[in-house]
Amino acid sequence: MRAVVSHRALLVVLFAVLAVLPVVANQYTLFVGNLLMLYMILALGLNLLVGFAGQLAFANAAMYGIGAYGAALLQVRLGLSYWLAAPCGAVLAMAIGTLLAFPALRLSGIYLALATLAFAQFTQWVLLHWNSVTFGAGGFPVPQPEFSALGMSPDRGIYYVSWVVTVVLLAFAWRVVRSRVGRAFVAMRDREMAAQALGVGLLRYKAMAFALSGFYAGTAGALYPAVLAYVSPEGFDLFQMVLHKAMIVVGGMGSIAGSVIGASLLVYLLEVLRQFKATQEIVFGALLLAFVLFQPRGLVDFLKRSVPGWSEPLHYASDSESAFDVAVADELVTGSRGGADR
Amino acid sequence: MSSLAVTNVSVAFGGVHALSDVSLAVDAGQIVGVIGPNGAGKTTLLNVICGVSRPDRGDVTLHGTIITGWKPSRIAGLGLGRTFQTSQLFPGMTVLENLMTGLHLRGHTGLIAAAFRTPSMKREEAEMRERALAALDFVGMRAFAGRSGTALSFGQQRVVEIARTLIGEPKILLLDEPAVGLSVPRVAELDTLLRRIRDERGVTLVMIEHVIRLVMGVSDRVIVMNSGRKIAEGRPDDIRRNPDVIEAYLGRQGDARRPAP
Ligand SMILES: Nc1ncnc2c1ncn2[C@@H]1O[C@H](COP(=O)(O)OP(=O)(O)OP(=O)(O)O)[C@@H](O)[C@H]1O
Ligand SMILES: [Mg+2]
Repeated sequence: MRAVVSHRALLVVLFAVLAVLPVVANQYTLFVGNLLMLYMILALGLNLLVGFAGQLAFANAAMYGIGAYGAALLQVRLGLSYWLAAPCGAVLAMAIGTLLAFPALRLSGIYLALATLAFAQFTQWVLLHWNSVTFGAGGFPVPQPEFSALGMSPDRGIYYVSWVVTVVLLAFAWRVVRSRVGRAFVAMRDREMAAQALGVGLLRYKAMAFALSGFYAGTAGALYPAVLAYVSPEGFDLFQMVLHKAMIVVGGMGSIAGSVIGASLLVYLLEVLRQFKATQEIVFGALLLAFVLFQPRGLVDFLKRSVPGWSEPLHYASDSESAFDVAVADELVTGSRGGADR
Repeated sequence: MSSLAVTNVSVAFGGVHALSDVSLAVDAGQIVGVIGPNGAGKTTLLNVICGVSRPDRGDVTLHGTIITGWKPSRIAGLGLGRTFQTSQLFPGMTVLENLMTGLHLRGHTGLIAAAFRTPSMKREEAEMRERALAALDFVGMRAFAGRSGTALSFGQQRVVEIARTLIGEPKILLLDEPAVGLSVPRVAELDTLLRRIRDERGVTLVMIEHVIRLVMGVSDRVIVMNSGRKIAEGRPDDIRRNPDVIEAYLGRQGDARRPAP
């Protein structure tokens, strides 16, 4: 008999394990667990924008960086407390992200990908070269917030903060996609003209999708300096973008559970390949390509077909379209990264 | 006052005059058929009315409001529904979800309400579901509610699309070749459905159609387009005998052996 696993049960177990991790795990494992939750947030935000709303944007890593630098610089330069600086960083990323909806009104597909990619590169350039504000390429240390009042180490404290934030954002995404707003996203993605004819205003819903994903990436970014105690531009470069993208493609575009599964799997791979830095890129590139070619609907599609009880309503785009978009876009990213680095 | 009026509308794409100085008025409660050869400008006419294309000249008036240049989503809010020449079901949704999207303008749920699953949000969602199922009943497609739109036959997709637009309670419904690709019995079903939409729902219909028997049977009035111009307008019987129409369809006048449209 095959196992009956519901998508809900899997998520509950996963987050239960994450909740008890600080009790059983060593400091390094705790750090990886924390990083995993940041990537879940990133994947969720990107999936809302790309997988559900169908906007082929490539600025997720940039939004992540804006959230991180916003939160870090407000502390280091202006002396704000982390608890004030972090929400400011997230909101800043959301605001800048929302502005990207304007080019998205005129551009779609590969052209939107190019425009957002240019924006991401510009953000990298600012982080690298605006030394008087960003400390340049070397980055800078950031003090971790204190949890001594709760009798906890900073690492453990921020871990629990991340856990709560991730659960809240997961539940939020879950509810949004199963609401009127989520249907408007998918309608806009699948048939833009028909969506409009039914009264779905493109500006409103594109802005909403970009704002949401900017907020998710910005929130992950705002947690970043508290987890790593350091920020530098390379944490938010194009490799990061490919990584986030790979998470949602492997997990499943247009699936909330898929975002979490994809993030988990790729963080695991990232750890396995930690000693072989050079092969990381190749492995992720190959993985992405394999999924685009052979399993464009991601692991969740496989789970839905083979695991009884797996009943998440899936909102994947029709195969031909999404596969094409993903293939073109990933070609673009891999290509331009190669060009920029070597 | 007519429900919908198009006055002196012209649209050109590059050198192609898709519409040249077209005017028409549609009265409430009618079915108006639009016929004409391929490339006559019929779809462009619907696109101008629903805001997808912006006319170079002329105006569109809906219930007395000039809507020229408005965004399609805003025009939809005034009670104008539209279906398309090719299937435009959302493939990533179930049939039920497609129908519920047709109720978009009737709903109010935003991000906050969705996040907190407020009582009013839950009520709205339940109502939408009920109405979507009822609309599927109306077109005899309830059994397909949980299916993906892409799993339906061509004819079923067309019918679901009509239901999806109808559920938003438009006052005027524009249909672009609803019978394309339908088998003969299916066309007869469509004929009945269109009459029911007019009579039971009080919806005004403007329908582009190449299946002449359907248009002539169901329309109160027929408009004939050719090369971007309106060349005739009248009751189906008069249109059948109109020499300009016969020429547009047959290429030359007086070929008595070929049936007039
Ligand atoms: N977006 C566009 N860009 C350029 N030309 C267009 C565009 N839309 C329509 N046309 C041209 O305008 C003319 C009218 O096209 P339209 O689609 O309105 O015809 P139609 O009457 O609907 O034809 P059919 O019966 O084949 O659907 C055609 O010559 C077509 O090629
Ligand atoms: Mg047409």
